Amino acid sequence: MRECHAVRRGAWAALAVVALLMMLPTLPALAQDAAREPAYRAFPLIGSRLAVWAVAQLHLNFAAFILGVPIFAVIIEIIGWRTGDARYDWLSHEFVKLTFAAFSTTALLGAFLLFLFVGYYPKFWTYMTSIFFPTYWIYALLFFAETFTVYVWYYGWDWLSGPRKGIHVALGVLSNLFGTAILLVANSWVTFMISPAGIDESGALKGSVWAAINNFTWMPINIHRLIANIVFGGTIAAAYAAFRFLGAKTDEERARYDWMGYIGNFVALSAFIVLPFAGYYLGREIYAFNQTMGITMMGGFMSWLWIIQAILIGVLFIGSNYYLWLGMERIPGSERYRRYVPMMIGILALGFMVWATPRSMVITLDEARAMGGTHHPVLGFLGVMSAKNTAVNMMILTTFVSFVLYRRANRISIKPWVGIGMVVQWAALGLAAAVVVFYGVYGYFVESLVRIGFSVYQVLAVLASIVIVMAIDIPMFRGARSTGTIRWGTIAPRSQYVLILLAVTFTWLMGLMGFARSGIRQHWHVYGVMRDNSVDAVTPAIGYAANMITTVTIVFFALVMFMFWLGGLSEKGKAGESGHASTPVFAGGSDADPTESGRGRSRAGGSEASSAGESRGGRSPLLP
Amino acid sequence: MRPPVGVKVGAFALAVMGTYTYYANSIPQIQSKPPAELSLEGGNVTPAQLVKAGEEIFKTKGTCEICHRIGQKGTRAPDLAGVGGRAGKVKAGLSGKQYIIESLLQPGAYLVEGYPNIMPQADKPPIALNRSEVWALTAFLESLGGAVDVTLDDIPKTAGAPAGGGAVAELKLPGDPKAGEVIFTGKGACIACHKAGKIGASPVGPDLSQIAKIQTPDYVMRKILDPAGAGTVAGFPKGVMPPMFGQTLTAKEFVDLVAFLMTLK
Repeated sequence: MRECHAVRRGAWAALAVVALLMMLPTLPALAQDAAREPAYRAFPLIGSRLAVWAVAQLHLNFAAFILGVPIFAVIIEIIGWRTGDARYDWLSHEFVKLTFAAFSTTALLGAFLLFLFVGYYPKFWTYMTSIFFPTYWIYALLFFAETFTVYVWYYGWDWLSGPRKGIHVALGVLSNLFGTAILLVANSWVTFMISPAGIDESGALKGSVWAAINNFTWMPINIHRLIANIVFGGTIAAAYAAFRFLGAKTDEERARYDWMGYIGNFVALSAFIVLPFAGYYLGREIYAFNQTMGITMMGGFMSWLWIIQAILIGVLFIGSNYYLWLGMERIPGSERYRRYVPMMIGILALGFMVWATPRSMVITLDEARAMGGTHHPVLGFLGVMSAKNTAVNMMILTTFVSFVLYRRANRISIKPWVGIGMVVQWAALGLAAAVVVFYGVYGYFVESLVRIGFSVYQVLAVLASIVIVMAIDIPMFRGARSTGTIRWGTIAPRSQYVLILLAVTFTWLMGLMGFARSGIRQHWHVYGVMRDNSVDAVTPAIGYAANMITTVTIVFFALVMFMFWLGGLSEKGKAGESGHASTPVFAGGSDADPTESGRGRSRAGGSEASSAGESRGGRSPLLP
Repeated sequence: MRPPVGVKVGAFALAVMGTYTYYANSIPQIQSKPPAELSLEGGNVTPAQLVKAGEEIFKTKGTCEICHRIGQKGTRAPDLAGVGGRAGKVKAGLSGKQYIIESLLQPGAYLVEGYPNIMPQADKPPIALNRSEVWALTAFLESLGGAVDVTLDDIPKTAGAPAGGGAVAELKLPGDPKAGEVIFTGKGACIACHKAGKIGASPVGPDLSQIAKIQTPDYVMRKILDPAGAGTVAGFPKGVMPPMFGQTLTAKEFVDLVAFLMTLK
């Protein structure tokens, strides 16, 4: 039965890929025909722009999920392999199982998007093909390689266990390399539309296609998307776990999905902390490419979009921290850290308010007169980049402190140098906060070009403090005395709604950023090269975009729920033999001895591997 | 009876998204509209009309206001107050209008001290002002503390290349110009308002004798089908050109008419 499902899924995905590949040789011919036809056709009822928008956003959501989750799935698998803790192996398999269901949907949506471009924007597609045709083949071949590698990785989980586990892990790494390469190729098309390069004044390719690929925004978007995909995958996986937790019938099941949700959120949070820095890099490159575009993005008609973005990111920061604080309730010994929570709430709330403060507002003449200008005489000063950079860096530092406290909640270091270690850690955090605040205030007294450079110092200070604190924390708490076992499954149910909130918010945020990325081109298909002369050349206002983003996000979650439900069908009635191994036992979830947790593999192939690994009795340095 | 988990989670997710959507709809709604093309050639444009058209370009299509202020020092670009008066003294050998035109078409040729070389060429994409628009913008800048003496001949004929998206996007008109001329003088009744070379003499609308030299086929098509949406040439009253040609002309007649107009150089 399981093989039957596998073959069916495989057939669908292979069909989609073959369809995509078969289309490629015909594209130049189609494009040439298209050149003789109208530049645009109208999609029935909703129009071409909305059709492309919806399918592109859905495709990107699924693609982000199937590219992001395997990155941390393989890391978790490696942790399980090296520490011998079978819980991680089970979890990694669960994560990959989630993406697996979405694989063929992603490919089908990609093919659908291609049809829309060829059919409804033929001249645009002709032009893109004239630049990027060689990359189409690379993309298709990478897609094949990625598909086959993931299939072997997933279905070979038992077969490549035990002494062959290294080969299995290598397959996971390889599938991630192929996946990342696919991302890089697709990003070259998208970023060329924003910041075209390697072409002459008429728009024709001057030399090698590499110049067009390696445009100003290509590498920043590669980095930004790679990190964002991990965050996205983490939040969706955590939301799945939350859903399963809320519907769990037994303590054991509740414990398992509590842990899975925690790991998903941990992954998301870890990547999320560095995401704003990738955003700065992207913003800087947009300005470097074209000042007008940068200024339009930040201070022009899109200025209010960043206020909404600030609110969403504020929700993500506060939600993540709240989840960690709720999680500490299930950790004996965490009581000693509760006194820090009010202070952290204060910093996060203040940072949220500053970040969401607009600098200038679109207001009537009467309102402007009453206020004395387009911005508030006092609060307006909090709307500039100096204040916002300071706020977000302080929020990142606070979130990091929350994580550190969570991590050591049930542990007391027995190292003789613990006192010095603590002092150095707090000094590093304090110094980073001081540097952030100093440059934030100093930024008000210098020219804008100098001020932009200050954000680099702030970022470096925060990153340095994170590295220093973790470099001390890991050895300091190795072999620490435990104040009790984490009672997995006893976390307050509202925490699971926080995980769902994070997933919904991040998905919505991805839609918003997609609108920003496309919107900064305004009435250009390819900025400054190919103008949008269609009836949809107007870039819509934020409300219209929000309606669209919400609609697509609802469809996305409906599809995801459906696929998760489909995936769950195969498990029903097969307790004990579902997946590649029986589910591990968790402390707090049953009466089992916590030391036995992770030793629940039932299948022959798996038990060999786990016994070999568990004999080492290792523990992940980061994960609980 | 307690609702199923799926219902509760779904309702919660909808409430979250609804909140974001409500907020996004309750803040100022600003669209970014494609700028309309402005044509000043062939019309009897007074200096005052030219300056007015230039001010409009300064604030809209030219996107000058993103960096430049008038009467206020900017951090990215110089204050333009009085630029018309001082332009003639900035660079030896260049008159005021020549300096302004050079600043618009080759912004890096001379940099005001203290400001970076970040200004894009005004006649190149993405701003892509056409020759008429560069003319009007120059007149407006001259008017800021100086006398307006710029003429269309002062603007290089190479200024204002249209964006095409590469050779593949060039448009070859399939229509018959001779049949189009018949439409111009007959069914279309264009001749009632427009002059086209040797045909017609009416001053009601702009002279189209050189329309192909200054405008793209895309603009001409749009102007015929949506006269108000494509903008009105400075110096002529708005709303005079009838909007019904999309209904009264057949597709072939429309293409023939455009083909004829694009022969007027």
